[in-house]
Amino acid sequence: MEPILECHELTKKYGNYFALSNLTLSLERGQIVGLLGPNGSGKTTLIKLINGLLTPTGGQIMINGLAPCPDTKKIVSYLPDRNFLNEHMRVSQILSYYEDFYDNFSTERASKMLETLEIDRRLRLQDLSKGTLEKVQLVLVMSRAADLYVLDEPIGGVDPAARDYILQTILTNYNENATVLISTHLISDIENILDRVIFLKNGQPALNASVDEIRTKYGKSVDALFREVFKC
Amino acid sequence: MPWNLDDNRPIYLQLMEKIQHDIISGVYRPGDKLPSVRDLALDAAVNPNTMQKALAELERSGLVYSQRTSGRFITDDQSLLNRTRDALAGEHIRSFMEQMNALGFDKETTLEMIQKL
Amino acid sequence: MLGKLIKHDLKSLGRLFILLHVCFVAICLAGRVFFMNQLDFNAPDMSLLTPLIIISSLAILLVVAINFCTGLMITFRFYRNLFGREGYLSWTLPVSGIQHLWAKIISGSIFLIVDTLVIAAGTLILVTGRNVVEAYNSVSAEFTQVLGMPLPMFALYMLLFSIAGCFSTLIMIYFCICVGQLFPGHRVLCALAVYFIVSFVIQIIVFLIMTVCGFFDFAAQPAGTVSVDMFRLMAPSAVLMAVLTVIQYITVHYIMKRKINLI
Repeated sequence: MEPILECHELTKKYGNYFALSNLTLSLERGQIVGLLGPNGSGKTTLIKLINGLLTPTGGQIMINGLAPCPDTKKIVSYLPDRNFLNEHMRVSQILSYYEDFYDNFSTERASKMLETLEIDRRLRLQDLSKGTLEKVQLVLVMSRAADLYVLDEPIGGVDPAARDYILQTILTNYNENATVLISTHLISDIENILDRVIFLKNGQPALNASVDEIRTKYGKSVDALFREVFKC
Repeated sequence: MPWNLDDNRPIYLQLMEKIQHDIISGVYRPGDKLPSVRDLALDAAVNPNTMQKALAELERSGLVYSQRTSGRFITDDQSLLNRTRDALAGEHIRSFMEQMNALGFDKETTLEMIQKL
Repeated sequence: MLGKLIKHDLKSLGRLFILLHVCFVAICLAGRVFFMNQLDFNAPDMSLLTPLIIISSLAILLVVAINFCTGLMITFRFYRNLFGREGYLSWTLPVSGIQHLWAKIISGSIFLIVDTLVIAAGTLILVTGRNVVEAYNSVSAEFTQVLGMPLPMFALYMLLFSIAGCFSTLIMIYFCICVGQLFPGHRVLCALAVYFIVSFVIQIIVFLIMTVCGFFDFAAQPAGTVSVDMFRLMAPSAVLMAVLTVIQYITVHYIMKRKINLI
């Protein structure tokens, strides 16, 4: 089976600034991958390229062997690093919106999760607290049976209890053949759920290894290694 | 409740130790069925593939065996369980003795102190 | 998918749009009942002049306002849905950029055309009172002669032109926003700048066409009718707008297909 994600000499330039330069990378199916790097290292740029929100300056990016297009969008479930929903909509309306457009969206699964969270579906998104809104967004994204989940900073702005809930939700909902790509700088929180990590440094992969490889080889956690690699 | 794992050793090793510990201490009885990889992973809040690897290692040691369709079970080979238990106890004693030694107690003194407890 | 996109576009603006236009029709009805019907066209000319000037100015203001609001709603919807933070969802739906574009063209056209029709209906409500019709009938022969055709026919032509104009307005709006997206920053500002530059260029071209067609050559003007003059001007403008709209569409099509870069 071909890799779920392949980048070949992928480059993205903003003006004269290289957000990504000649990035070559491939992700296998059935694993949870951490995309780690300090701010400005190109994490969000890579993620936006995967989702077709940016047009590459050079090189190729392939999802399931295809450049980003409606067919790849069917199998990629994306959680952006910002609030991306129309806040005037009610929770129930956004559910039917997802149901309308995504064949692999399970309203049943989403409803169950919302029930557990005790979120009133009649509420408008603008009336939810920041943490609740982030949970709703994650519920929507994880209720799709996708091949590739791309989560940009899913635990960035929430309290530790919500963090645990989010990690549990990710672990519970992805299927064995799916790949989850999580970008974050809160490494220690998610280290245990990762198969492997990719360190991005100035738009280049600085390291691509499994968590246990790192621990065996360096005798320290990914978090500690990260602090060393990116020491200011 | 996530399991207590430390930062600098491979995660699968620590998962193995934890499950081994649960088997020896009787959380799981001989012949019991283990929860699925997914449930164990969720319980430990770790990656399912890592849990899978830990269980595969345990299988190799014989403490756990899998039946093709019905899942994984704890061995009911009592002598293997005893051996494992003894090995674990030996390890604890050895590390305890080392610590005591580092504090300046020799073997005899340590044993005397233990008996007085 | 196209149908679903259009459905959600219509849903998201529908309520405000309907509210706005119901208000407009209500104001027109009120204007007719409380103002137009009270006019006595047999009164001396001077006493009629002031109220007529007032109501026609108010009516024009209202029409411009409601048309502007509709345009603004469509502009905001296009920008927010595709290039604001909601764009992060829109562009990750299993839909192509061209489908997004056509959904916006179709839903926008529906709003603009309904807006034009409602404005026409409101105007009809204002001017079809019995007293107005009677007053018009007494001068209709002269009017027809000056216009070169009966007034209703002339009005119908105007309506058809306006509806055709909806498309070029719409494409122009989308064109400006899309071209604004090509800039690295300040994209809304850039879109506005594009709008003013394009409008300015169009004005100049129209002015040139008018000059070439001898519109300002009053001395040479034959004793034509208003409609003949209007159409003589409108035909080249229509061709110009059509060409411009096609060029703008091709540009927008290209940007939506190949040049998407959300901030």
